[in-house]
Amino acid sequence: MPKIIIDGQEVACRENIPVLQAALEAGQDIPHYCYHPGLSIVASCRLCLMEMKMPDPRTKELVWVPKLFPSCQTPVKDGMEVRFNTERVRDNVKHVMEYYLLNHPLDCPVCDKAGECYLQDYTESGGPATSRMVEEKYKNPKKDIGPHTLLYQDRCVLCSRCVRFTDEIAGTGELKVINRGSRGEIDVFPGAPLANALQGNVVDLCPVGALLDKGFLFKQRVWLLKHAKSVSPVDSRGQTIWIDHNAEGIHRIRPRFNERVNEWWISDEARFGWKFIYRADRLSQPRTRNGTALAPVAWEALPDLLRSRIEQAAAGDGGARVAAVLSPMLSCEEAWLLAQFIRDLAPQATLVLGHVPVTGQDRCFPKGFKIMAEKCPNRRGIETVLAHFGGPQSTFAEFLGRAVEGQVAAAYVTAGYPEAWVDDRAVTALRKVPFLAVHDLFPSGLDASATVQIPAASWAEREGTFMNCDGLLQAFDRAIPPLEGVKPDGQFLFELAGGEGLFRSHKVRASVAAAVPALGDVFEPRPLPEHAH
Amino acid sequence: MAFEPVLMRHYRVPNSTSLQVYQQAGGYTGAAKALQMTADELVELVKKANLRGRGGAGFPAGVKWTFLPKDRKVTYLCINADESEPPTFCNRITIETDPHMLLEGILIAGYATRTTVAYIYMRGEFTEQFHILQKALDEAYAAGYFGQNILGSGYNLECYIHRGAGAYVCGEETGLIESLEGKRGWPRIKPPFPAVEGAFRQPTVVNNVETLACLPHILTRGVDWWLSIGTENSKGPKMYCVSGPVNRPGCYEAPLGVSVRELIYGQDFGQGMRGGRKVKAVFPGGLSMGVIRGDIFPRHPEAGQVELARDYDELDCRLDFDDVRRYDLLGLGTAALVVVNEDTDMRDVLRNVARFYSHESCGQCTQCREGTAWMQRIAERIRAGAGRVLDLDLIEEITRNMGMMPGMSICGLPDGAAWPLRTLVQKFRREFEAHIAAQAPDAAAKYIQRINPAAYDLPILQGRAVAPTGGTFYHPEKYAGAAH
Repeated sequence: MPKIIIDGQEVACRENIPVLQAALEAGQDIPHYCYHPGLSIVASCRLCLMEMKMPDPRTKELVWVPKLFPSCQTPVKDGMEVRFNTERVRDNVKHVMEYYLLNHPLDCPVCDKAGECYLQDYTESGGPATSRMVEEKYKNPKKDIGPHTLLYQDRCVLCSRCVRFTDEIAGTGELKVINRGSRGEIDVFPGAPLANALQGNVVDLCPVGALLDKGFLFKQRVWLLKHAKSVSPVDSRGQTIWIDHNAEGIHRIRPRFNERVNEWWISDEARFGWKFIYRADRLSQPRTRNGTALAPVAWEALPDLLRSRIEQAAAGDGGARVAAVLSPMLSCEEAWLLAQFIRDLAPQATLVLGHVPVTGQDRCFPKGFKIMAEKCPNRRGIETVLAHFGGPQSTFAEFLGRAVEGQVAAAYVTAGYPEAWVDDRAVTALRKVPFLAVHDLFPSGLDASATVQIPAASWAEREGTFMNCDGLLQAFDRAIPPLEGVKPDGQFLFELAGGEGLFRSHKVRASVAAAVPALGDVFEPRPLPEHAH
Repeated sequence: MAFEPVLMRHYRVPNSTSLQVYQQAGGYTGAAKALQMTADELVELVKKANLRGRGGAGFPAGVKWTFLPKDRKVTYLCINADESEPPTFCNRITIETDPHMLLEGILIAGYATRTTVAYIYMRGEFTEQFHILQKALDEAYAAGYFGQNILGSGYNLECYIHRGAGAYVCGEETGLIESLEGKRGWPRIKPPFPAVEGAFRQPTVVNNVETLACLPHILTRGVDWWLSIGTENSKGPKMYCVSGPVNRPGCYEAPLGVSVRELIYGQDFGQGMRGGRKVKAVFPGGLSMGVIRGDIFPRHPEAGQVELARDYDELDCRLDFDDVRRYDLLGLGTAALVVVNEDTDMRDVLRNVARFYSHESCGQCTQCREGTAWMQRIAERIRAGAGRVLDLDLIEEITRNMGMMPGMSICGLPDGAAWPLRTLVQKFRREFEAHIAAQAPDAAAKYIQRINPAAYDLPILQGRAVAPTGGTFYHPEKYAGAAH
């Protein structure tokens, strides 16, 4: 591990990283725009210049040289000595900031990026107080460059992060710099908008307010948002995300750095795929069949009802005709509780891995980012739970086959998919089940045959862990309260399984881990320092 | 011994572009000689001759070749025929009148560097020159000077002409390489230097046309002949372009070290100023190297009237790699003189220079992108009769900030932009101040408020700023302690 001296302090850093990264990881806020650890280095913003010791050509002794070096372009070398906290470096920042502000409006009051804008930060900390340019600023156009993205060109600092992202990470190259010099602009080719499957990342990448998300535009000031650590449920890769929310609900989703899964990026599915939470037709109260119609029932009445009906179905054969469908949308803890509940009542009950939605094929991007075809977050987790419980098990298709033959007397079906998932085959098959409890987010074709309908909570309203397609167990926190009238799945299943009080996933996880260590081995991505990207 | 031109010996010789004429003058004997040597011997020879690159920086060509990694498998040679520096046209003359001299130089340099493929990167606007060079290249291929097993030596070299789309920065070696690879002509960050990782990520040498054109003569006439020409550290002949209101503008060959005065007034060269006007200023190295003051200024000023340190005729500046620095020039550059006569308003010169660099800045580095454009706006305003004395300070400060010293940005363009503007403002400050003094008292304020109504509350000063205007980056005395 190389050790370098930054401003007189020895810093141990990772091999082969730039000095800038080492300084950022050591907690220094070094101004930079063009540098991003996930992209190639262009060293064009000239903000991160530093002083460095070099060998004197005559004496070979290490001395401070008058020239400044870009710290993003200089790799760390054991024993090197650099300094940022000097008058010359501060002067450089001040003057480069003056250049940036010649044409950049300081329109923070109306800019979406205010509060997380590097230009605002650097201007405040080291920029000039007034502009000495008396001429009029360029008024560059605002551009609609894609279905989700706007470009406010007048705010652009031409750091080319977005251009490099589309070239290197997405591999689609929609964005380019056009024109030369101070007339340079970011733009798309005519008829080829920014519409790749990762394009939302350019908004996060933009260090200023030039690239904006149409969906978030003018919705919230970022300092009013709270951030919840979460894991995206849109595919089996388990991309780690921040859910930015407040009392009004979720406002946006951003990537959360994860060196093992998605690095700094997320797919557009993960970024924009959360709006199903606010669909108007969400189920919001439990109901039971009263004659032909479903009638509301109190949450308190449900456990007894479910217990008695399942016990009834399990009487005599230990529950061979009872089944529980564990949806891959459930967290590991929830799946565990449900399996425990069913097996307690019916030791011979069949545990079924729920419907696994698959769309298309896995997509792999140039630098390794993947979007999986499997559109559920926790198949591996459910399989792990099933493996622990043993006993009779089946796939969802086999379960439907048994149901259509009338071999299922009682079934507890969990779902929670954002998309419609019930097909005619499932409807026909499950119509034959005398006691059918459906735990789902939305109404479906099963409404007509469900004996009990239990409203589910979305992943943002719950907490727990998902195991991704590579077997990595990742925890997600609750971001927002559940829809009014809905009890989080974990809480309900906790109560069903005989728990008392409040469901806390980490407590359940601790007891689960005693039996299955793999389900307690949560991976926590390395947190990045505030300014390290 | 009288100087005998070699680089321009075929200028005005009929049919000089043909292989036949070139061979009659002893063409390709240098290459034949080179091919009998080893590559290392050839490099040593060029190092011994101290052939300094004619492209602008004056870096020794032989030394540049030694930077190539020893264990390389592929080497590319890029020939810089972009020639976009404003008053420079000597490469064009070489290509137009003696293309085989260049091709022979390519063959020699290619052999010395063990190059397999040479690319002539040619400025897009050179249409006729492209056809001339392509014809010559076809002839050379047919005669066995390119291709496989050249002259039975077992050495193979392919050569292609690549035409650029026309951008100043594509003449910068890494910008050239990017453009050659089919990308936008943006300079690359260094390291890695092209010698290690250049065109197509392989070791690459970039040499200028004139540098390579010197090689056949070093081989045929010998190092001693070469070393007998020029000044102490600047050896050999050089092509000088003279443009502006002189009686005989054009391209002339002379030994390195010829003076500016000689090039303007010499009978073999410019033959004096048109209409007997006086020289006001000269850009002796292309625009980017800076300006010197002409003979309009008293050579022996009365004490107390003018600033002794600066107000003197600088036409004695000798055009070699060293003497130019005494006159606050960045370097010899392309040795292309732009002469400005006494009738010219220096505000026009300032504006034209600023406009050129603002237009040609690639836009990667912030200081260059914004600084050149800012200076252009200031220069436009001064030209429009709305200058402030403050602006002169401001231009000086911007030129310092753009590159506190050469090499602070990805390429040398900001240095090349800053240097002429700074020297213009410093050396002709008195004239700018006189123009400003002759303006209406509120001309600047009115102009600024017209072009930028939002500027009403800014301090629009006509005169020199009484207080510092925001701090200056460049304080030689402030940073003196840090230098080694």
